[in-house]
Amino acid sequence: MSALPEDRAAPVLTAHRAGLIGCSSCGRVWPVTESHCHRCGAQLVPPDRRGLQAVWAWLIAGMIAYIPANLFPMMRTQTFAGLAGNSEATIVGGIIELMHYGSYDIAIIVFVASLVVPIGKFIAIAWLAIVAGRPATVEQAHTRLKVYEVVEFIGRWSMIDVFVVAILSALVQLGFVASIHPGPAAVCFALSVAFTMLSAQSFDARLIWRGLPLRSRST
Amino acid sequence: MSDTPEPLRPASPVRKTAARAARAGVNVIWIVPILALVVTLAIAWTSFRDRGSLIEVEFADATGITPGETTLRFREITVGRVESVRFTADLTRVVVGLRVDQDLASYIDADASFWIVRPQVTAQGVTRLDTVLTGAFIEGYWDSEVGEPAERFVGLDRPPLVRSDQPGTWITLAMESAEGLTEGAPILFRGVAVGRMENVRLDDASDRVLADAFIEAPHDGRLTTASVFWDTSGFRISLGAQGLSFGVNSLSSILQGGIAFDTVVSGGRPVERSHVFTVQPDEDTARNLVFAEEESTRLRVAMVIDDSLRGLARGADVQFQGLRVGQVTDLSVTMSEDETGRPQVRQLVQLSILPSRLGLPEESTAEDALAFLAAAVEDGLRARVASSGFFGTSLMVELVDIPGAAPAAIVTEGQPVPLLPSVEGDLDDFSASAQGFLDRLGSLPIEDLLNSARDMLDSITSIAASQDTRALPGALRAAIEDGRLALADISAITAELRESNSGETLAQVLEEASAAFQAVTDAAADVPEMVERIEAAAAAVEEFGFAAVSTQVEGILADLRAMLGSEDAEQLPRNLSNTLEAATGLLNDLRDGDAAGNLNNALSSASSAADQIAASVQQLPALIQRLQATAARADGVLSSYGTRSAFNNEAVAALRELRRATEAFGSLARLIERNPRAFILGR
Repeated sequence: MSALPEDRAAPVLTAHRAGLIGCSSCGRVWPVTESHCHRCGAQLVPPDRRGLQAVWAWLIAGMIAYIPANLFPMMRTQTFAGLAGNSEATIVGGIIELMHYGSYDIAIIVFVASLVVPIGKFIAIAWLAIVAGRPATVEQAHTRLKVYEVVEFIGRWSMIDVFVVAILSALVQLGFVASIHPGPAAVCFALSVAFTMLSAQSFDARLIWRGLPLRSRST
Repeated sequence: MSDTPEPLRPASPVRKTAARAARAGVNVIWIVPILALVVTLAIAWTSFRDRGSLIEVEFADATGITPGETTLRFREITVGRVESVRFTADLTRVVVGLRVDQDLASYIDADASFWIVRPQVTAQGVTRLDTVLTGAFIEGYWDSEVGEPAERFVGLDRPPLVRSDQPGTWITLAMESAEGLTEGAPILFRGVAVGRMENVRLDDASDRVLADAFIEAPHDGRLTTASVFWDTSGFRISLGAQGLSFGVNSLSSILQGGIAFDTVVSGGRPVERSHVFTVQPDEDTARNLVFAEEESTRLRVAMVIDDSLRGLARGADVQFQGLRVGQVTDLSVTMSEDETGRPQVRQLVQLSILPSRLGLPEESTAEDALAFLAAAVEDGLRARVASSGFFGTSLMVELVDIPGAAPAAIVTEGQPVPLLPSVEGDLDDFSASAQGFLDRLGSLPIEDLLNSARDMLDSITSIAASQDTRALPGALRAAIEDGRLALADISAITAELRESNSGETLAQVLEEASAAFQAVTDAAADVPEMVERIEAAAAAVEEFGFAAVSTQVEGILADLRAMLGSEDAEQLPRNLSNTLEAATGLLNDLRDGDAAGNLNNALSSASSAADQIAASVQQLPALIQRLQATAARADGVLSSYGTRSAFNNEAVAALRELRRATEAFGSLARLIERNPRAFILGR
């Protein structure tokens, strides 16, 4: 222990190091010998990088779904029963249109919710999946954890676009005058978000801490 | 912690995981992204495949066309969408890129036509008002046959009036001018619109106007080569022998014009596409003309005349035996030399004659007609100008047989058209007859008539103004009063007669008439008595001198007055009137009544009554003569008596009265004598 650095260099006590295993369901730690969580009954699985395969799979599925979500129209607006014209807007097209109309605030919201957040999530999850289990300092581990938490938190808000389309198509059914119908992109976008959330969920956060001892030993 | 370093070692499983995973094979979870990829690719492929093919259509301008929004419609169903709008290289036109649905793209071959549909306000109404809301769209039309796909088209400037696959017949109409006719004007058959006219254009070859017309099936079956077309545009006013006529077809025909056709003559052949019909200016011309045959079958001849051509117009009839066989096509002057070699200006009249109207068979050609005419000319057929129309002011050309005409023949040599021999015109013209009429009017003795009338009026005025006329005898006045009373009686009698209305009444009336005549006779019988007295008085005047004369004259006068005032004399006119009224009433009754037998009876009775009257009146002249003699005698007496005494004056007045009464009797008697029946019948 004397070889350890004075302050933060000291190896952080992790569950693995303490011979414990955390329940991925309820968070209680059990000795590694236990195979089942006695509190919630879930199976105790040791962190394994093989679980990252699921992360990658879901992530790729989400990214694939995200392509048509951007190419197909999100919303089909029909005015005067199609007499005054049907307008179909893709996500990017809609944002540009909003900017043309001068609604920069709404354009920014849509831009963030539909483009920044999903793409940021892809990048974040991919990065987490790459670095998970790699040797890291405590600070790096903390950064990864924060990124993971942000991804988890934002996950539920990624559906904002789909919600807007769903609410609009439910509300704006004025018959002859105007009606809004969801386009194929809405489904794709929803799928993309769902896949991404599943991807984030498949990520085992315990892997973040698995790289710590090595790094502390090497230093 | 230091004695148990193992836990501090790096977690070996973590590092070995990748290799182990590789050994463990592919996780099931990878199916998800693969599925997602497959689905996405499938969707992409589908949308790419259904993207449709791109065609380009050129338009003069791109009014109302918005890329991405303007649709392409076929039979009002959206089959495509405008993708792009750009200019041609020379910036004169606009190229519209259209993405057409894949399943229809194969039908769009070179025959396809495209036009922009916009709201249109025409004389026939407002169309495509819906495009005000929807915006313009491009409409395409193509047939149902798959052809070689084309990519570049030239759009039409306006919607075609007739779809290319619509059953019907296209014909060509030729007219002198298209005044009042517009594109889309209807073709009418007995007032029913059976087609449309479009593509009005000037003929390159001639100065006529040509137009394409489409007659819809099944109405095109009514069209033969013998059909005639005429212009129904606007309204027409014509002033002719039948008076003023004003005709108007419909509001649409005023605004847009219209062309009607009818097949008056049978025997035409079915028309082929683009058969040329000549449009006549109005219906009458068309129907009278029936020049439906081709130009080539017409016989063109000319005639040279010396008469004035005033009143002969282009289009005037050429008549043969009273039938119209052709028309005058042109009027011109020609220089020729007369017998003495002097140049002479003569009128050349060009005629166009239809062989079939000459009574030749349908297939006759112009040569046949010429041969026919040549034969007829040998027999004395000549052309001449004749007057036509109600007033004879317009002229026509007549082909007439002139018996014993100088021999002549149709001149064909050295002439552009054969020359018909002509004779002097038969112009029993209006001016001559009008002059004669006026002459006759002028020769009427109107002035004499007016003079006599004036004289007569003068006499009447003088008579009316004379004292004598004014001084009407009281007796006559009384008689008139009686007459009035009698009239009242007569009315009553008439009423009775009408009520009874039978043969008895007739007999009664006749009896009354007889009685009346008896009364006349009686009255006349009284007169000799009076005359005797006058004679006696005259004798007394002669015999007994002045005093006696005076008293006797007074006696005569009293007698005269008594006679005039006597019941018989008074009754005479009344009786007469009674009779006449009764007769009139009877006749009225007879007229009213149905019985013809009664009428005959009555008429025979009436004539017998009239005969009686005549007989009784026969006696009147004698009486009158006697009266006149008496008067003359008394006159003589009185003239001997003196001139200026009151008695004399009185006597003279009395005598005048007497004479007037006598004259009245005389005129009555003459009248009755002349026509007793008319007197009774009141006619």
